[in-house]
Amino acid sequence: MSIITYIVDNWGTLGPQVTTHIEIVAMSMAAAALIGLILGVFAARSERFSTLILGVTSTLLTVPSFALFGLLSIWAGLGNPPVIIGLILYALLPVVRNTSTGIRAVDPAVTEAARGMGMRPSQVLARVELPLAAPAILGGLRQATVMVVAIATVGATVGADDLGQPILEALGRSSGTLVQVLAGVIPVAAIGLVADGVLAGVQRVLSRGAARGAVG
Amino acid sequence: MITFDRVSKRYGRVTAVGELSLEVASGEIVVLAGPSGCGKTTSLTMINRLIEPTSGAISIDGRDTATMDVNALRRSIGYVIQQVGLFPHQTVAENIATVPRLARWSRRRVAGRVEELLELVGLPPGDYAQRLPAELSGGERQRVGVARALGADPDILLMDEPFGAIDPVVRVRLQNELLRLQKVLHKTIVFVTHDIDEAVRIGDRVALLSQGGVLEQYARPVELLAHPASAFVAEFLGEGRMVRRLALLRVRDARLAQPNGSGLPTVSVRADASLRDALDAILRADGGRVTVRDVDTVLGVIDSESIREASR
Ligand SMILES: Nc1ncnc2c1ncn2[C@@H]1O[C@H](COP(=O)(O)OP(=O)(O)O)[C@@H](O)[C@H]1O
Ligand SMILES: [Mg+2]
Repeated sequence: MSIITYIVDNWGTLGPQVTTHIEIVAMSMAAAALIGLILGVFAARSERFSTLILGVTSTLLTVPSFALFGLLSIWAGLGNPPVIIGLILYALLPVVRNTSTGIRAVDPAVTEAARGMGMRPSQVLARVELPLAAPAILGGLRQATVMVVAIATVGATVGADDLGQPILEALGRSSGTLVQVLAGVIPVAAIGLVADGVLAGVQRVLSRGAARGAVG
Repeated sequence: MITFDRVSKRYGRVTAVGELSLEVASGEIVVLAGPSGCGKTTSLTMINRLIEPTSGAISIDGRDTATMDVNALRRSIGYVIQQVGLFPHQTVAENIATVPRLARWSRRRVAGRVEELLELVGLPPGDYAQRLPAELSGGERQRVGVARALGADPDILLMDEPFGAIDPVVRVRLQNELLRLQKVLHKTIVFVTHDIDEAVRIGDRVALLSQGGVLEQYARPVELLAHPASAFVAEFLGEGRMVRRLALLRVRDARLAQPNGSGLPTVSVRADASLRDALDAILRADGGRVTVRDVDTVLGVIDSESIREASR
């Protein structure tokens, strides 16, 4: 039986799992982007905070995902919530790191000129530093998104009804087939590629000037 | 008028500027000159409070700057730095509009001001307004930097080695453009340079600093070159200062001789030429004398003796 026919035949179950998968990824990435951006700005300002937050977020990444989801489910219950929280934690490192390095890479002469013209610190951040760091920040968001799309499948172990389910079911049954596994894997890969492509497009648009204008 | 009243800046045990007292008269270009690390940048940036003094006070027209809102103060002072620091993600027009926008000018007024400033610095708006900084040459970038600093028509302009990274030919052109602008604008300009030739060419007055922000001499360039106040000043001025000083004096200010019976010398100089150019002409002329003309009118004759007299 071809994989395409299998997916079409089972769309009644797979369709909602695709939707749930995308919802889980979108929610965790939205939260991780917001939290990571804020933490990244502080990390750019303070060397000590930077060391601390990068240490914590990279340690989080070393925790195996089924263990993290499992631990979080004790507290957050089974289903989507522990998965969303876990994915936020995983996504933080690339977002925080890239935000911080992006801001630090802004030419000091540019921020000095901005302050010298009477911009308040919040204006320097919003009008100069963040726009110039945007390509780097988008790069972090891309990395995190691709990672989160894949790891979200492990959420099936704590009851998230996403694209991890068909994979988990196939692996758990002696009658499970490669086709069943691929029915989960292929949509996951497709979501990852589409999300990465969209973010790459946004990154290109935001790079107008910021990348070309290394001098200035 | 900008007044430094016993202004000091210390970093730990290092004194960057020590008890500096100085008055910058309105409408003048004052150059802060001196060797690298003598405290020029520190002194300059204490005016717009990018650096806060450790002690002492700086006032503008009698108002202590420490009592002013720091961002309002900075918006009222143009600031130009060597690295320019244009916003690379914004067009030339957006860069120049920075301070007017911060001051919430109307869109129309901002657009008009941007055009006016581009014209003023010699960059045709049609050609340059929509370019990004990366699409400009070094000299053009610095012109945009000056236009941006003039954004909201500040009375004061602070310039930190603005032409330091520009090649010598373009640098002289930019210096001349600044002098031309100043004839129209009458800003109070504080200009930092470590290049003494630039200092005497640009400055109405030169404040010469030595290590630790010590004011060695504060004088007009012709005075500085003729009468250095210390061995340090004389050494910083370098060789041939009386000859270089001739470049700052005009032929029309010298006492000219009337032509004698033997007719006018064939070589001539214009009355607004410098004494340096006149001396050059005298050395080239056969009789050691040249005719001084103001357009077509003959004003007299000048020789090496009149130059010697004029330069006393
Ligand atoms: N942030 C700082 N910390 C310590 N020393 C400084 C700092 N900024 C400047 N200095 C010192 O103050 C002195 C004057 O610096 P600066 O005003 O930049 O000199 P200039 O512009 O004349 O080259 C130098 O000796 C410099 O090393
Ligand atoms: Mg300096």
